[in-house]
Amino acid sequence: MIFVRKSLSIADMGKLSNLTGDQIRGIKLLGLPFTYALLLLALPLGAIVLFSFWTQDFMTVDTTFTTRNYQEIWNSPIYGLLLRRSLMVSGIVTLVTVLLAYPVAYFISFHVKPSKKSLWLFLITIPFWTSYLIRVFLWKVILGYNGVINSGLLELGVITEPLTFILYNVNAVIITLAHAFAPFAILPIFVVLEKIDRSLLEASQDLGESKFSTFLRVTLPLSMPGVVGAVLIVFIPTIGDYVTPELMGGAGGKLIANMIQTQFLQLNNAPLGAALAIVAMVCVTAISLFFVFLNRKYLASRS
Amino acid sequence: MKLRIYAIAYLIFLYAPIVLLPLFAFNDATIIAFPLTGFTTHWFTELTQNAALHAAVKNSLIIALCTAIFATILGLCAARAGAMSAFPGKKGIVGFVMLPLVLPEIIIAVSLLVILRQVLGLSLGNWTIILAHVLICTPFSIAILNGAFGALDPAMEEAALDLGETRWSAFRLVTLPLVMPGIISSMLIAFTISLDEFIIAFFLTGSNPTMPVYIWGLLRFPSSLPVIMALGTILVALSIVLLTIAEIFRRRGVRRSGGTDTGGFL
Amino acid sequence: MTDLIKLRGVQKYYGDYHALRDINLTIRAGEFFSLLGPSGCGKTTLLRVIAGFEGVSNGSVMISDKDMKDVPPNQRPTNMVFQSYAIFPHLTVAENVAFGLRKSKMSKAEKADAVAEALKMVGLDGYGKRAAHALSGGQRQRVALARALILKPKVLLLDEPLSALDKKMREHMQVELIRLQRAVGITFILVTHDQEEALVMSDRIAVMFAGEIGQMDDPETLYRRPKSRRVAEFIGKMNFLPATVTSVGESIGLDIAGFGQTDVPQDQAPEGAKPGEAAIGIRPETLAILFEGETASRHEAPATVDEVVYYGDMTYYDVRVKDVPEPLTIAMKNLIGRPVLEVGAQTRIAWDERAIVVF
Repeated sequence: MIFVRKSLSIADMGKLSNLTGDQIRGIKLLGLPFTYALLLLALPLGAIVLFSFWTQDFMTVDTTFTTRNYQEIWNSPIYGLLLRRSLMVSGIVTLVTVLLAYPVAYFISFHVKPSKKSLWLFLITIPFWTSYLIRVFLWKVILGYNGVINSGLLELGVITEPLTFILYNVNAVIITLAHAFAPFAILPIFVVLEKIDRSLLEASQDLGESKFSTFLRVTLPLSMPGVVGAVLIVFIPTIGDYVTPELMGGAGGKLIANMIQTQFLQLNNAPLGAALAIVAMVCVTAISLFFVFLNRKYLASRS
Repeated sequence: MKLRIYAIAYLIFLYAPIVLLPLFAFNDATIIAFPLTGFTTHWFTELTQNAALHAAVKNSLIIALCTAIFATILGLCAARAGAMSAFPGKKGIVGFVMLPLVLPEIIIAVSLLVILRQVLGLSLGNWTIILAHVLICTPFSIAILNGAFGALDPAMEEAALDLGETRWSAFRLVTLPLVMPGIISSMLIAFTISLDEFIIAFFLTGSNPTMPVYIWGLLRFPSSLPVIMALGTILVALSIVLLTIAEIFRRRGVRRSGGTDTGGFL
Repeated sequence: MTDLIKLRGVQKYYGDYHALRDINLTIRAGEFFSLLGPSGCGKTTLLRVIAGFEGVSNGSVMISDKDMKDVPPNQRPTNMVFQSYAIFPHLTVAENVAFGLRKSKMSKAEKADAVAEALKMVGLDGYGKRAAHALSGGQRQRVALARALILKPKVLLLDEPLSALDKKMREHMQVELIRLQRAVGITFILVTHDQEEALVMSDRIAVMFAGEIGQMDDPETLYRRPKSRRVAEFIGKMNFLPATVTSVGESIGLDIAGFGQTDVPQDQAPEGAKPGEAAIGIRPETLAILFEGETASRHEAPATVDEVVYYGDMTYYDVRVKDVPEPLTIAMKNLIGRPVLEVGAQTRIAWDERAIVVF
């Protein structure tokens, strides 16, 4: 995921002389954002890859090539634990988010009047744009010892003592992240559902399927690309969030991103932080690719 | 019907935390907990007297404004190129430029930190945050402007050329006015994202914190929480206003260039 | 008439795709010229080459004896009516029409007069202050015409201008366009895939197939003397019959399957025709069903009705004639008292060697 997917090959270069004026103008225009991304994305990514093979020597960086950082990550249990916990949290968050989001996307696409669809999408995206830090913090207010849930339940007499398992642990992190990434999951699914030709569903019912079996046999398989998109767009970024685990996770809810942040900003060990970032990135990419691959196989086996 | 109830419950879930903001912002207690004790505008008054906060807000506004301008310029280039004929490798290049959309922000943050601090030895400041924010906002700008350019009839600009205008004046007189709502929408979105962004800003901020970085610092002090609630209320209100304007412009843009609305920012 | 546009050996490649193959064509001043062909034949590309939106890979484009090689579209004496009309939606009708006058030295009042005159010419008197996006399809087209003609170009290029209109409106605009062209006296080049439209409107038509010009002639010659089966098939309907050329001289001797022997003048056969296998074409309306008591003025043949399609004003019969491999289509006017035959009916058909084209 992190490398340039496709650049101009030699064969393509040979054809450049045949480009039309329109194409040449397009290349020139795209050159600016491309150069920007090259300098501020590809180059820095290359730099952390390089850095991860160097080591921190007190205040200076030792630039001899070594895999020591990776050995350390492999050998000390803390990194493995954090990484596994991160992947698990991201996985659960993704699962919860996508499962909760699908019916909403389905509802907007199939049951909302076309003129109202924009309004629904707008309402769903608004909370996502409002101050992230404060939103995360508000979950603390909701889930906290004196929080909305505890005080509410105490008031109602459901519980006699405040619940403590809902804050400062992994559960709290999952709830908060699932909330933060909700619109991310709805939009890709909605876009794909919108593209489904409605006459296909009528055809299926005309051919004797019930509404529910039509959903299972027609709508769901056709919407899988959107589900895959939703999974990726939730799964990949959640691994990089350190705010939520920091505020909500307590001691037992810290994730790999917190460790990366600590290595860079507190322990001043950028090479180890870089190696951790790369390991996390590689794991996420591998799992994502595996998921995409599984989904392709599943769809192919059906047809 | 069941689906509608579910969807409304989902919306309540989405809005639940935000609804709490004004409740505590106007609550006359230093502890953020129920039950509410009384009404006060004290926390808002306190906001007006906090010089450090004002400096942070000013920083953030400068960063957000620069980000909005540069990301929209890059977005304009990419979206305009996107509307032109394909050339070898075009899809790959556009995909690469859109990559920050799915990249974990911490990866962008640490990689930029490494190259700027360790490799180039530069000192951090507002400009480093602007660089990063332009990177993450450009994909959003491209997505919005693609909508504006996609709905535009390519014959419009040709017609202007045919009627005696140069390429540049054709763009200025015809294309630019037609995609202007998209440009405004893109700038507002980029502005909003930048204003709110914390994960990257925390890594790349210099001696003067941005507003989210400043808020992050305040979150450790329970006594300053009500002030944060007040600030949050203002920010949420501001975001909603900005986004509503952005949405209105986006829709107007799609309509003006003759397309039909397919909804949503993304 | 003087020659206005000369294309010599024009070729156009898109990568490996050969869009225009060696186009040679001369268009005269004041002519209504059509580029006719199926979609993808290169007619729109050719129009865009003349307008300057596309460069040529080979060959030259001359307008008024001036090479257009390095002349961009905004400096060519051509203006275009786009298929989508490309009316600027953010401007009013008058602003659209005045768009091309921005750099002219006219005073404001002169510009306003020119706009009013142009709008009057296209029948949109008083529409100047309307918003462009509120116009109907037909009105948009008129605005596009006024916007192009106000610049008094030497050539007006029209890219499928009528394809977006409904049938009634289309027929109405055909007549209006002819009237307009005669009034302004400007050369019109029309791109269309509709053969009827081309026949109705044009002084001359170039029929294009796969990047080449198949035939270039006035509508009547094109219809009555198509030079190839491709052209004959594309324009109108034609019956084809296998035949043998038996002699070549002052006239061409033919032995036509099912019809027998006849002679046709030289100009009904391709130049340099040789004795041997050939095919002839004959249009449905030049054949006739012979009803009770009618006799053929030239030749007749017995036939069986195979299919009847009733069109109201016309009836189209498919009839089988002995030794002719395919059924022949015959178009008959439904005159008073003339019955419509049923499938299976035995009848006779009349044919005339003057209507035959040899391929």
